Amino acid sequence: MLYSLLSGILLAALAPQLQRVLGRYLVVPMVALPLLLFIYYCFFVPEVLQGQAVVQTYTWVPELGINLQFRLDGLSLLFALLISFFGILVMLYASAYLEGDPLLGRFYLYLTLFMVAMLGVVTSDNIFGLFVFWELTSISSYLLIGYKQVDKEARVAAWQALLVTGLGGVALMAGLLLLAMATGSYTFSGMLGQQEVVLQHTFYLPAVLLILLACFTKSAQFPFHFWLPNAMAAPTPVSAYLHSATMVKAGIFLLARLTPILSGSEFWHLSLMLAGGLTAIIGAILALQHNDLKAILAYTTISALGLLVTMLGIGSDYALKAMLVFLLSHALYKGTLFLVAGTIDHSAGTRDLTKLHYLGKQMKYSGTAATLASLSMAGVVPFLGFVGKEMLYEASLENYIMLGITLLTGTAFAAVGILMSYRIFWRRGEEKTQFDHHPDLRLYLPPLVLATGGLLLGLLVSVVPANLLQAAVRAVSGNPEMELKLALWHGFTPVLGLSLLTLLLGLLAYLFLPSLRNKVTAIHPLYRFGPNALYHKLFELFLHGSTTFILWLQNGHLRSYVMYIMIFFCGLLFFTLWRDTPGLDIQERIYQLHEVRLYELVIFFLVISALVFLMGTRSRLTSIVVMGLIGYSGALFYILFGAPDVAATQFLIETLTVVIFVLLMHKLPAFIYLSHQFRKYKFIAIAVLFGGLMTYVMLLVQQQAVDSELREYFGKASYVEAHGRNIVNVILVDFRGLDTLGEITVLAVAALGIFSLLRLNPEKGDKP
Amino acid sequence: MRTIIFATAIRYLTPLFLIFSLYILLRGHNHPGGGFIGGLIGSIAFVFHVLAHGSDRTVNAYFRVKLYSKGKPDDDTPPEHMWRLLSANTWNRLPNYPQPEWRYHIVRLRPAYVMAIGLFLAASSGLLGLFQGMPFMTSWWMEAEIPIIGALGTPLLFDAGVYLLVLGMVLKMIFTMSKE
Repeated sequence: MLYSLLSGILLAALAPQLQRVLGRYLVVPMVALPLLLFIYYCFFVPEVLQGQAVVQTYTWVPELGINLQFRLDGLSLLFALLISFFGILVMLYASAYLEGDPLLGRFYLYLTLFMVAMLGVVTSDNIFGLFVFWELTSISSYLLIGYKQVDKEARVAAWQALLVTGLGGVALMAGLLLLAMATGSYTFSGMLGQQEVVLQHTFYLPAVLLILLACFTKSAQFPFHFWLPNAMAAPTPVSAYLHSATMVKAGIFLLARLTPILSGSEFWHLSLMLAGGLTAIIGAILALQHNDLKAILAYTTISALGLLVTMLGIGSDYALKAMLVFLLSHALYKGTLFLVAGTIDHSAGTRDLTKLHYLGKQMKYSGTAATLASLSMAGVVPFLGFVGKEMLYEASLENYIMLGITLLTGTAFAAVGILMSYRIFWRRGEEKTQFDHHPDLRLYLPPLVLATGGLLLGLLVSVVPANLLQAAVRAVSGNPEMELKLALWHGFTPVLGLSLLTLLLGLLAYLFLPSLRNKVTAIHPLYRFGPNALYHKLFELFLHGSTTFILWLQNGHLRSYVMYIMIFFCGLLFFTLWRDTPGLDIQERIYQLHEVRLYELVIFFLVISALVFLMGTRSRLTSIVVMGLIGYSGALFYILFGAPDVAATQFLIETLTVVIFVLLMHKLPAFIYLSHQFRKYKFIAIAVLFGGLMTYVMLLVQQQAVDSELREYFGKASYVEAHGRNIVNVILVDFRGLDTLGEITVLAVAALGIFSLLRLNPEKGDKP
Repeated sequence: MRTIIFATAIRYLTPLFLIFSLYILLRGHNHPGGGFIGGLIGSIAFVFHVLAHGSDRTVNAYFRVKLYSKGKPDDDTPPEHMWRLLSANTWNRLPNYPQPEWRYHIVRLRPAYVMAIGLFLAASSGLLGLFQGMPFMTSWWMEAEIPIIGALGTPLLFDAGVYLLVLGMVLKMIFTMSKE
């Protein structure tokens, strides 16, 4: 499984280059990849249907419990198949939608990367693996939303999505870690069956809160729903793929994945029902207020996500089954509708509902697809959406509030369904919309496939999807015995009555939509206090605050930086000294002064006199030379105490410093006193404080001579194991080689930073 | 700074310095020395060259190669042609080549590339262990010893990476500063 993901990442990385080579045939490898992945996952179907979970493990950092562990159970497989199948269609669709775009390779890079990340999310067993892939989906979503980077709107929306879901990502890591601490396992497989332990644990509440935050931000639950409609700034294939069928369902997936571990407490169920219910209502109401096709679809998606969360919140066996059926049917019809909306946008150049009339004549296939999908959305008999809707009603029958919510969202869905099919495609009477061009095969085939899928799965509901969904619901409920029987026709039950009522109400809502819309404009001023406005206010506040703070902290004066570092360091030292209160035996230290040699004294006085001279001098050249003298004296000390490597380095660095100073000498401005006298005293005080503190700490360290085993170990192992007699160097390049690698990387990065600063020419108006 | 004695002396001293810095790099495993110190010595060699001659001439002398090429005449076989090009670029270099027939390419080794190569060497020296299924940066040594250089192993490669990185960094600094 690892290699299937790696191949995707590889292909993604190659996409821009492939575009140069293959031109418009770039689509071939990009479609082939999800196709192969789909087939690959299909091979797991028999095994998973028998109730086994496929587990594969690759060690990564086993010491920290970070491994690449993949686990394919019913739930994962359902998602993996969905993701790869959608991947095929969306990749194909995108090639026509963005035809001739010079950055198409880059688009495919992001999209493939996203697909791989999403597959990683659903198949990861290790929490760290899940987190990495989860973040990768956020990042690729950011890149995809901001794909039209010339639009300010797209950039802002991309930022928003990244910040909101990124916030969730941080919470996810914390929540999962708490969960791992509670259960003692870093894998979901290990956590399964520990429900009792988790529920009793003190970490339960914080862990649930954090994980809910993560899932709610990702799946656009109230009050974090606002990023999803804004994310519609992305190209339509992205909206169809990420923001209706897959990525936003990652939150739902995780909630479902954790249901057998976390559910069972009042808090879990109530918060899910509350958030989900609110989201479902708000999405349903807002969906009917927009004219933009994509906005309407986005809000119905939010509403559907809310329903899914509500079902998880109800948590009964039946609700979980309903959740999975609805999830599948929603993915099929919502994907179709998004793709059709994209086709309309592509062909007619507008997505405005009021400007689109009687399109069916000119785009028959798209119209058919949209109609099929809308029927499924509205919940009409032979479609999968009907089965899903019936089950939703049945699951929420026990609770009247839930029933009301389901009814309301069902009504909105039915109204939107009529809007998306009859209103724009088939209603005669008005002048038909002019087309720029007719859609080609790649634009209408994918939605048609999806919509037909919704119909076929509905007709064959008891055969095809039932087995897979049964495996999935077993994984969600944690009960390996659970049966899932699906049937298209349940007979004349109250639920059927509710279904019909929904359709009727939907029709009414559609008919009275214009007048309803006028009524709700009254509440528009409320949006100023909505989460979206709040987000922008917070964002501005944050920018303003950080600007002020940075201007104060990083004021461009080197002396301030040095001062801050010293003060902070002193603070840390003071804190440690105050906490540990080590005693210093000064008597003994003074006694040691007898051992001072003459040459040590000479160097000591040399340094002191150089320092005193340095403070009085007004010539820059003199101060450089004297600084060099001090450095060389330090190096002499190293030699005297037997550290030739350090001494050599010090000598060379001093030499280089002096030479570079000399090189720059004539470019520096004349030497003048700018500092106020008072400030000078302040600096002296800080310097004395720092020096005194360091001396004190050094004396302390010497007093408590550390009896380290390391010295002996390195002394021995250096030649035996690392073939070198110079212990310092052997430690640097072999024993602690990774540290050195990190250091030189830092060195290289710092060097690049310095050069870009040196290149700046502030007099010419360059800004950093 | 640009006295004639200094400039002449530096012309001969710089290669010596460089050889010395390589020596320091190689002996680092058993005696004081190593990549960092070696890199510093090597860069000091160039720093003095820049001081004495200016950065342009340092670049010309050490970091820029002019390569000559020409189209293949019909009566030459490809190996012959390659040989001719090779000889024209190495031991039979002329000060001036006949112009329309010969084209020249200037290949310049930028200090940033030196840094990048160094970092790459250092990072890739750890990969050898990884490919053998051991943790990253597990060292690997050749059995036989080579005179002067001593035993070869991945730590030496790592040290060479450090050497190049330090060298490239100081070079870049010096070139940027002296150009302004």
